[in-house]
Amino acid sequence: MTAIVATGLGMRYGKRVALRDCSMEIPSGSVTALVGPNGAGKTTLLLLAAGLLAPTAGTITVLDRTPDRDVELISRIGFVAQDVPLYGSFTVAEMLRFGQKMNHHWDQQLAQQRMEKLQIPLNQQVHELSGGQRAQVSLALALGKKPDILLLDEPLASLDPLARREFMRVVMETAADSKITIVLSSHLVADLERVCDHLVVLSSSRTQVVGEIGTLLDGHCVLVGPHCDSREPDIAGVASIVERTDSERQTSLLVRTNGPILDPKWISEPVTLEDLVLAYLARPGATALPAPRAMSQASAS
Amino acid sequence: MIHFRLNAQSGVATYVQLVHQVRHALRSGLLEPGDQLPTVKEVVGSLAINPNTVLKAYRELEHAGLVEGRPGMGTFVLRSLEGPPPDKQAALRKSLQRWLQSALEAGLSPDAVLAFVDAAIRDVTEDSVA
Amino acid sequence: MWLTWRQHRAQFIAGVVLCGVLVAFLVVTGLGMRSTYDSLGVATCLAATPARDCTMLFSQFQNQYSSLQFLVPLFLLLPVLLGVFWGAPLIAREVEQGTYRLAWTQSVTRRRWTVTKLFMVGSVAVILSAAFSAVLWWWADPLVGGPSVQRFKYGIFDLLGVVPVAYTLFAVALGVAAGVVLRRTTVAMVATLCGFAVARLAVELVLRPNYQHAVTAAYPLSFSSKTGPPDGAWVLAENTVTASGFAVSGDSNGISLSYVPMQHICPYLTPDSAPGSAAMQQCLTQNGIHVVATFQPYDRYWLFQGIESALFIVLAIALALFSVWWVRRRVR
Repeated sequence: MTAIVATGLGMRYGKRVALRDCSMEIPSGSVTALVGPNGAGKTTLLLLAAGLLAPTAGTITVLDRTPDRDVELISRIGFVAQDVPLYGSFTVAEMLRFGQKMNHHWDQQLAQQRMEKLQIPLNQQVHELSGGQRAQVSLALALGKKPDILLLDEPLASLDPLARREFMRVVMETAADSKITIVLSSHLVADLERVCDHLVVLSSSRTQVVGEIGTLLDGHCVLVGPHCDSREPDIAGVASIVERTDSERQTSLLVRTNGPILDPKWISEPVTLEDLVLAYLARPGATALPAPRAMSQASAS
Repeated sequence: MIHFRLNAQSGVATYVQLVHQVRHALRSGLLEPGDQLPTVKEVVGSLAINPNTVLKAYRELEHAGLVEGRPGMGTFVLRSLEGPPPDKQAALRKSLQRWLQSALEAGLSPDAVLAFVDAAIRDVTEDSVA
Repeated sequence: MWLTWRQHRAQFIAGVVLCGVLVAFLVVTGLGMRSTYDSLGVATCLAATPARDCTMLFSQFQNQYSSLQFLVPLFLLLPVLLGVFWGAPLIAREVEQGTYRLAWTQSVTRRRWTVTKLFMVGSVAVILSAAFSAVLWWWADPLVGGPSVQRFKYGIFDLLGVVPVAYTLFAVALGVAAGVVLRRTTVAMVATLCGFAVARLAVELVLRPNYQHAVTAAYPLSFSSKTGPPDGAWVLAENTVTASGFAVSGDSNGISLSYVPMQHICPYLTPDSAPGSAAMQQCLTQNGIHVVATFQPYDRYWLFQGIESALFIVLAIALALFSVWWVRRRVR
């Protein structure tokens, strides 16, 4: 069951194109990282999924329905926007009451318990809270209505490391409890590997990499070998070269594989998620996208 | 009860680290048959990692016959891991020394030998776990 | 609904407090005015039959309160103030601060959200302005209920009766619409101010005189008795003309009939021909000089109030519907 399906999705604001021909499938129950440089369209994608924007090209469906103005569907989507908007003059208790009044299924007890556990005083005004606390309140608001999908737009960006860990702890505990699908966008990759199992890389408004993280990491490696002069060395088992670094004595290649590397000249080493993402971002032409209607081997770019 | 740690910089996949930690605990006697492993929720709560990762690790251990998941109750240790018996160990040591001899004769320095061994261990463990 | 109240609590309270202060002010001064009114005997003068000329007494009364009368035009600003400070930020502020992303991802439709906001702000605005208008009517009664009832005049028509409520509703709706379209609070506030001014002036100067076809009547010129359009009428134009229609400056009371133009008609007049002199009188009758006035009689006052109110209320409703529609189909 796929939670979110985008087909040829495009979004333009007047002359500016934010998204171009994006296609992806995000399976139910997964935790997907949406990664890309600033301005690549991550926020736009999330706004489209949350029903706050309507696409100018292509389609996006959430739980097999179009989120645009479908209130019943929106009530099953929890969204935490960038910069964590809250009503500054409200107290925490009033924000929870807001959630209660504006939603049909709302677990007030759970939300209050969570605030207590995090030691966030209920009668403090929102604008007096720290960044981490505000993020937790926003998260509680999004989770209070027991959504099937949780969309987080750069939730960790302005948080200190401890707050980040706390935030992700709550998110992961929720994931452990329910079949919720989570998409979180970030321009920091390092934190994501322990948390996410799927990856979408957006670069220059297009999807560049889409897939399950385990599969992606298995399908890529770094080959280190003696300095190689040829521009496109043909090595058995290599589908395409993503990144190449040459030094005087050595050449190292980050490659996508389609078979075992048997050539003894090349030593293969595993690749980290961060290296993978950075390599692809540095090479806009390269893609690792699943073949249409199949989440399996990617097609060469 | 085992307490997991995560080394985010090691380059080793999270679930592999969990599996290794359980195996190590079994080998060193920290975990004995009948002990319960932490629940998925507990691990997630302490490490803030993806619950699917924990599930993957536990499935792996279950495949290897080391643990057993009982629905509604948790995951429990089935058997312990012991090292190979002493005569097996002696045989392994002998073949290692023979290999080392030929490597040094071929011109590898002790440092190079260590690098070689590291890479080989990684290759072999990945193949066995993947 | 709770949300709208809680979110805009501060503004509502400020508005009520301001209204309260003004009402208190009016009540205090109003009571003072009425006692002066009575002590000067203006009421008895007006009630006396046959009708006496109470203008002197009335002027005396008016002069006592001339300073207050300068304040009154400020009340014209009240509808705009509500529109600018309540209407414009209502939705524009949420867009600016991004909180709309919070509000629109809950289980409430955008339409309901907008409608609730409009309804609450509109209702409170109407209640406040109606209360204020009522008090203002009571307060102004001595001042404008005098010998020449002036309610119909420019400026005073706008302050009393039902129209201020309609203006307020219009201003608030305009403010919200501006905020929704322009999405920036300060810009919307300026736009509301300008829009309101333009609309009001256009209606006041162009449309209002024509709600009903004005009455044109001729009156003889007289220097001794009162002639001219009836009391309280809104005089749109008044000209002293000869029988053949040639205009001469002056008014129905003949007091300001000026010498120079008269001389063109009756060359035999000399500078010391007083208005009441025989020579002047002869000139007048000879040429059939009389007054022609175009006016709206006072009995149309409430009709006009109704028409203008309805006009602005319709505009307000149209703007409100527009705002709801715009928010609903709005992409960002």
